[in-house]
Amino acid sequence: MPENRIYEDLTVVRRRANVVFWIFAALVLIVLGYYWKVQIVDHRKYAAMAEANRIRMRVLAAPRGLIRDRNGVILADNRASFKVSLVRENIKDQAASYLAISRLLGIDEPTLRARVDLHKDLQLFEPIVIVDGLDPEHIAPIESRRLEFPELVVESEPQRFYPQGALAAHVLGYLQEQTPEEIRTRPERKIRVGEMVGKTGVEREYDDLLRGQDGAAYEVVDSLGRVQGENARVYPVQGHDVTLALDLKLQAEAERALEGREGVVVVLNAEDGGVLALASSPTYDPNRFITRFTPEEWTGLMTDPLSPLENRAIRGLYAPGSIFKLVMSLGGLGFGFVTPETTVYCSGSTQIYGAIRHCWFEPGHGSMDLANAIKNSCNIYFYTLGRRMGIQKIAEAAFRLGLGRKTGIDLVGEKEGLVPSEDWKMKALKTPWYPGETISVAIGQGQLQVTPLQIATMTARIAARGRQLRPHLLKDAVAGAGIAVGSAPAEPEPFTAATFEAIIAGMWKSVNDGGTGQGARVADFDVCGKTGSTQTMSRESAQKLARAGHETKTHSWFSGFAPRDHSRIVVTVLVEFGGGGGATAAPVAGRLFDMFRQETQGK
Amino acid sequence: MMMIDRRLVQEIDWILLGLILLQSLVGVFFIFSSSHVLPGAYHVRQLAWIGVSLLVMLLVLVIDYKFFVSLSPYFYGLMVALLAATLVFAKLVAGTKSWITLGLMQLQPSELMKIVMILVFARLFADYKRSYLTTQVTLGALLVAGVPLLLIIAQPDLGTAMTFLAVIGGSFILAGLRRKAIVLFVLAALIVGVGGWTVALKDYQKKRVTTLINPAGDPRGSGYQVIQSKIAIGSGGFAGKGFLKGSQSQLRFLPARHTDFIFSVIGEETGFVGVFIVVLLYFALLARMFLSVNKARDRAGIYIIFTASLLLSFQFLVNILMIIGLFPVVGITLPFLSYGGSSLLASYVACGLVLNVKMRRFANV
Repeated sequence: MPENRIYEDLTVVRRRANVVFWIFAALVLIVLGYYWKVQIVDHRKYAAMAEANRIRMRVLAAPRGLIRDRNGVILADNRASFKVSLVRENIKDQAASYLAISRLLGIDEPTLRARVDLHKDLQLFEPIVIVDGLDPEHIAPIESRRLEFPELVVESEPQRFYPQGALAAHVLGYLQEQTPEEIRTRPERKIRVGEMVGKTGVEREYDDLLRGQDGAAYEVVDSLGRVQGENARVYPVQGHDVTLALDLKLQAEAERALEGREGVVVVLNAEDGGVLALASSPTYDPNRFITRFTPEEWTGLMTDPLSPLENRAIRGLYAPGSIFKLVMSLGGLGFGFVTPETTVYCSGSTQIYGAIRHCWFEPGHGSMDLANAIKNSCNIYFYTLGRRMGIQKIAEAAFRLGLGRKTGIDLVGEKEGLVPSEDWKMKALKTPWYPGETISVAIGQGQLQVTPLQIATMTARIAARGRQLRPHLLKDAVAGAGIAVGSAPAEPEPFTAATFEAIIAGMWKSVNDGGTGQGARVADFDVCGKTGSTQTMSRESAQKLARAGHETKTHSWFSGFAPRDHSRIVVTVLVEFGGGGGATAAPVAGRLFDMFRQETQGK
Repeated sequence: MMMIDRRLVQEIDWILLGLILLQSLVGVFFIFSSSHVLPGAYHVRQLAWIGVSLLVMLLVLVIDYKFFVSLSPYFYGLMVALLAATLVFAKLVAGTKSWITLGLMQLQPSELMKIVMILVFARLFADYKRSYLTTQVTLGALLVAGVPLLLIIAQPDLGTAMTFLAVIGGSFILAGLRRKAIVLFVLAALIVGVGGWTVALKDYQKKRVTTLINPAGDPRGSGYQVIQSKIAIGSGGFAGKGFLKGSQSQLRFLPARHTDFIFSVIGEETGFVGVFIVVLLYFALLARMFLSVNKARDRAGIYIIFTASLLLSFQFLVNILMIIGLFPVVGITLPFLSYGGSSLLASYVACGLVLNVKMRRFANV
């Protein structure tokens, strides 16, 4: 550093700094004067405000938007109910208070304490809901003893109500209270403590749309927490309504058909991918859980080996069985391994890679071309095709038809399923692929896993001659909600319309020409479809079911569409342990096709 | 050279250091008072932060401030990069992206940026010997300050961005402002203000300003805070309601009472007497810092002392104005008193720089 720096003239700069300091000093003095005014001169005013009057904000909960089916029938509604909250600030003697409250409300004391403990981080004046879902007649005895319980607040709130009961429960989902932890981690959602938000289904998917805007009442409260008057009020705004593509009549019919069984029915609008019905059985009544508290029934459902809470349509993983022969056919034709005229001779069994493989029809089908192989679901034909294609091409065809990835339906928790390939096996199991496994995959067994919705979506694609559709539940939301529904992004179509026509010919024969799917036949409706029966299932579910005392029969599949040209509806049925697909699943689909035809006749 | 000399130790302003520690301890007491109902033992954490800040301050003292000044461009580059990274990567905390997580501690890079700005401006003006500011230098300085400022505004952390004005404005005042320049700055401020109001300010920020004029217009939002804070202070009266006895049920109405609104707790529980004492302590502390300019050996030293003191004074003033409803609620902490590691650390380092300049006034170069 240069020496002259030490002697440089800094007086001007120093003077300026000093001036600024004295200005600051003067400002501090003025501010202090204002504090004097507030604390000494106006003390009485503020002391009075602090002592006697306190403004409290009471949340006026906004009702959630309604959920309707395509015809306007209400599926999720709101009804008035009452809740009782505890304000810890007003408790005088904690032990006595808890005891008295538990007697008054009929809840046991440990539960009450645990409930309060969960919210111990809240400000003491904030109410903690301790009982909800009460009717007016429950409230009367509590109201009459208000003066004894200054710590209790009784408020009405709109409560979710599902007028159709268990109907479409898996589609609608249910609500749950958010834990304080969850609320804290996502502050931008502005969820109020004690608010019920969508946990699954449409309630979850469109939660932001359905949730309204809470209002508030600003009340003047005295030192005992008693309301002295209201200062201002902001009215709550109900959430947006949501209309689903669902058709309640079809949904009810689908659920009736599944009653007493485990299984899935998916009905899609073949024109736009709208979900007309989506039933998963067994099911549950969501009305029983519209409370912040965990009823025993709930725990029962959670641990039920048949997992009624699971939506099997999007979360159940099954081997596709013979349904997969549609994928084989499309791949075989599309990649040029066979032509519609190529024939394979079925004698009832054949030897492939050193092992004897049987057709399901022991006497043998004789000479089979593609359409007849689909119609009769001939294993030998598809064994032969599978050997020609090899696993990589099979996997490619499956992937192009939407298997092994999510369909993109507007429901959370959808599973991807699994399309095995050489790379997959090396990565997942660290063993090379054996050609014999290809043969199992060729008839939809082996490691293949699909969800019923994937099969329905694939069928819709076949019906549309390759046009890709995204299944969706939302028909439309109110204007301005800004949610787009539509078809999936276009992908280059690998298979030509002619390819699809050839497969559809086989599917038509299966139902209308004495094939395996004839149970789904509906007069004058030209149903096309394919059956499937799967011999295996995932090991976990097998064990689960073994515990529940079920014997392991085959799962029964049917997937089809109608009419053959300008298709309007796709129906996919899966019945767990239903036996042969033709015997169990096809007639269920037939009922739905028939109902749809009758309903839309003349339209 | 790097090791601290015994002569230097004697030159440390022990009175200033004592005032800083005293003020911090007052803070710990009222942090306890305002947060003992909450889980998290904030007062203990604050004590730990005071320890950490003291250590860092000590490190700052060991090294000659000129070394910091000469390194300031590197600090600047590093901090700008960090701010940009924060903007991109940091988890959204309370709607702003101002936090970065370093192990267990969360740091706000914007707080440290203030310190870097002090050093950068000291370097910028260290050799500026004219008696008034030229346009060229003004624009250059605004450019240097503008980059981090915009990054902080984008977070968005308007409160911290505002404190930068103290550093920038302070430096300009020292460098000398002509009347014409003052008029221009006021005009520019008006244009930016009006433009910012209509274009850039978010609704919640606008609300804070309108609330200042009419607090009852938003009784639950920022107006609620101000109303409750004012009631708390006013009801404290002359002698207060006593430690831990703040009515308003221990101020449970008041959000952020152990951070931005801690002075309301002091006002309520210790009354005007407490307010007076704390303000007096502040005044003594800041006066001692400010008046150290007369002891600085060179221009860079004067700039450091002045901008650091002005920074703390500005935060102090804005905070005590804000909590009594004379300034919009902008999220500026009360230095030394409010709970919060980053803010405490920044204040200690700022003081450390002042002490550093002061103790080296006679030192040989």
